[in-house]
Amino acid sequence: MSSVELVELSVRAGEEVLVSNVSLAIEPGTWCTIIGPNGAGKTTLVETMAGLRRPSHGSVSILGQSIAEMNERERAHRVALVPQHPVVPAGMSVYDYVALGRVAHHGLFHPPSAGDRRVVESVLERLSLVDFRERDVATLSGGERQRMVLARALTQSTMVVVLDEPTTGLDLRHQMDLLELLKSEVHECGLTIVATLHDLTLAGQFADRLVLLDGGEVVLDGAAAVVIRSDELAQRYGMALRVVDVDGSDVVVPVRHTPHVNGA
Amino acid sequence: MALVAAGTVVALFVAIVCGLVVGPTTVPTWRVVGNIFAHVGIGHNTLTPLQSTVVWTLRAPRMVIGLLAGSMLAVAGGTYQGVFRNPLADPYLLGVASGAGLGATFAIIDISHGNGTPTWTPLLAFVGAMGAVIVTWLIGGRSMRSNTSTLILAGVAVASLLTSAQTFLQQQSSAGSITRVYIWLLGSLASAGWGTVWLVLPYVVVCILICVGAGRALDVMSVGEDESRSLGVPVRRVRFIVIAASSLGTAAIVSAVGLIGFVGIIVPHIVRLLVGTSYRRILPISVIFGAAFLVFADTIARTVIAPSELPLGVVTALIGAPVFVIILSLRRPVAV
Repeated sequence: MSSVELVELSVRAGEEVLVSNVSLAIEPGTWCTIIGPNGAGKTTLVETMAGLRRPSHGSVSILGQSIAEMNERERAHRVALVPQHPVVPAGMSVYDYVALGRVAHHGLFHPPSAGDRRVVESVLERLSLVDFRERDVATLSGGERQRMVLARALTQSTMVVVLDEPTTGLDLRHQMDLLELLKSEVHECGLTIVATLHDLTLAGQFADRLVLLDGGEVVLDGAAAVVIRSDELAQRYGMALRVVDVDGSDVVVPVRHTPHVNGA
Repeated sequence: MALVAAGTVVALFVAIVCGLVVGPTTVPTWRVVGNIFAHVGIGHNTLTPLQSTVVWTLRAPRMVIGLLAGSMLAVAGGTYQGVFRNPLADPYLLGVASGAGLGATFAIIDISHGNGTPTWTPLLAFVGAMGAVIVTWLIGGRSMRSNTSTLILAGVAVASLLTSAQTFLQQQSSAGSITRVYIWLLGSLASAGWGTVWLVLPYVVVCILICVGAGRALDVMSVGEDESRSLGVPVRRVRFIVIAASSLGTAAIVSAVGLIGFVGIIVPHIVRLLVGTSYRRILPISVIFGAAFLVFADTIARTVIAPSELPLGVVTALIGAPVFVIILSLRRPVAV
């Protein structure tokens, strides 16, 4: 059984087609990254997987069950979301923010159980957030904040985590740290990750599978090493790209078209 | 948190005692307390018949309606601020005040030759208040997926329309009617009797319980609609239920005691400064603090220039604004 299965999925906003006829089956324990130029439909696709958008055609199933048949609470048991621009409510402590991930488990009318608190503590520990637990979320740096949002998603204890541009606004080191953290969760907990990323190098290095989206349609779908070296990739981005091998890792380098100047 | 809760309960107790014993007719506190015990079979009554009438027929129902109005307006304001994620939200945001004002004006000018306020004024005020909220919801409620600003704007439009209609009605009526409408609009607990208390009590109790029970949902909803839904909260259903409860409770109070301003916006902010941003703490403390605050304000309103009374809304603003400023200067402001 696939962790995530999209069957002939289309999403519209009024007359505009945002995602068109996408079919994907993502196996458990896989890291699948959706890449593509701006406006390709990446965010729409992951929001639909998370149940935030209704398909105009086709279906989304998480762990074998159609998402259309689930209510919010059932969905929150199966798929967690890390949004591109999370709302960080000033005045809330890091602990309380991360503990929001347990709401689907204990419900809106019951306090967190001892088990819920243990899960929160464990995630805070794993993501090195213990020292920040009483801090106001508004006082965190960008990297700490992204780790906290990821912690909230992991606290939901779902087998599928959907991330929309999780590295937005982070410097290189913090991008790597965050993705390494996620990678370790995939290995240790068997999580299925579906992420959108703009950085093709990071996408290629961390994902098992890359799906190239353009104009709302899947253009390429395959192993990361294959997709990243495809000529189609450069065409879709509308620029020259060179893939170089650095210590066994693929690094995607954009090539600047500079006019040749005599004598320069 | 425990200290604030204890302090608020003490303030409520003091407010209740003040509401019963302070006034032009002097009634010693210990005699009132003894009388309360006498009612449950402990000791014997030491109040004179006059004192007993003043305390139990005039002051007690007024004090109780003050408790109900203060707690309802405060918790409704806090709930609106949470559900709209807007610090300027108050219980009158969706047109309750203008709807009630139009209903009351309609009732009062209908007996333009009389001197009093007709008995059906509360009924028409209630119908007007709920009618305004329902129209606002029908206009703005469907497009709330991305944000709640459409509903707020619909409330502004409905309130403007109803206020215009009310102004037109007043323009067509006698000077006496205009005065009575104006007095009603300022809000007062003076006409409250036990009948009023029993009438609004069920609405207020149920609505307060619903609002306070929604505290955890409002905490989650502070991260926005999409994230709340991804965390398992049925946002639209919660929003509908808490707006309906806040509006119904506010309409019941407004129809009984008129428009009392300031409590609904300032009390939740004062409480937020004291206990932090969690609605699980803000809402229950606002219930107690709002009740104490309004009974204190009413005690001042009816005693400062006795035998006349100050408008209650004026007193709530005169006390609340400086208290708010003092707390604001002592504590770092926190977001809604």
